[in-house]
Amino acid sequence: MAIPITIADDSALSRKTIRRALPPEWEVSICEATNGKEAITAVENGLAEVLFLDLQMPEMDGYQVLTYLKQHHEKAVVIVISADIQPEAQALVNALGAFRFLKKPLEPALLGQTLKELGLL
Amino acid sequence: MSSYFISEEQKDALQEVLNISMGQAADALARLIQTQVHLSIPSIKQSSSDHFIERLKNPDQQLAQQSFLGELSGEMISLMSDGDNAAIAELMNYDIPLVEHEKQELMLELTNILAGACLHGLISQLNFKIQLAAPVLLNPASICIEQLSWQQALLMEICFQIPQSSFNAEILICLKQDSLLPLKNHLDMLLQ
Repeated sequence: MAIPITIADDSALSRKTIRRALPPEWEVSICEATNGKEAITAVENGLAEVLFLDLQMPEMDGYQVLTYLKQHHEKAVVIVISADIQPEAQALVNALGAFRFLKKPLEPALLGQTLKELGLL
Repeated sequence: MSSYFISEEQKDALQEVLNISMGQAADALARLIQTQVHLSIPSIKQSSSDHFIERLKNPDQQLAQQSFLGELSGEMISLMSDGDNAAIAELMNYDIPLVEHEKQELMLELTNILAGACLHGLISQLNFKIQLAAPVLLNPASICIEQLSWQQALLMEICFQIPQSSFNAEILICLKQDSLLPLKNHLDMLLQ
């Protein structure tokens, strides 16, 4: 059965890049969110067993989403995909419970490897 | 006229490319000074040189100019306010107060780190080849429009701040009009 995943990023190019980088053999149903609020709605509607999350987003940013999920939806597997790659950003994201931190521009091979490591593939 | 027009989709793509470039530049600086750099959203707009030159004339700032040519051509202006020197100099292990030549050296070093990484990010993601000249310092008191190599440009503004030390630097990438078409073509390739 297809796993529900959500791609949360305010950039259309970035959402497209992540979609393209998903391994073709991974059976998923994809939902897209353009800000943090939509990402949380997707999680609460059961559309995001795996959430690919950008950090800089309008309405509610990625850090706020992680904070909310840590309190309410600990089981959601969050993989942060971020343009801000500073050590502090990575440390904060890890502290907030993200499973992985991937840098933009996203390397498809690294995404595939990450999904394998997390037992999702 | 249409070749000067960037569609919303192309602008979104360019914005994302700039976000990533800015992130790489901030990471380079943050690792060097072991301090987090605050990022804001880059802006993209058309600018004319007579309008642009006015903001460079503020005497309380330092300016550096770095031109590039090749598949894309234009120039980058790095802009830093004078008062911010001490804070960043300390983080970069200079003895303060700085003497004049140290101020200049610091300005060129920061330009190399920030402007270099921004432009590198932009051209590597879009798959362009360019040659980048070494940065030169400009004097805001004597700057004139002839020192700019364009009349109309696509202006990309990227701002870096370190809140606790009041450091504020801007990198302005000015892309000449004849580079707009190749830029749009490469953005379209990314979007395909």
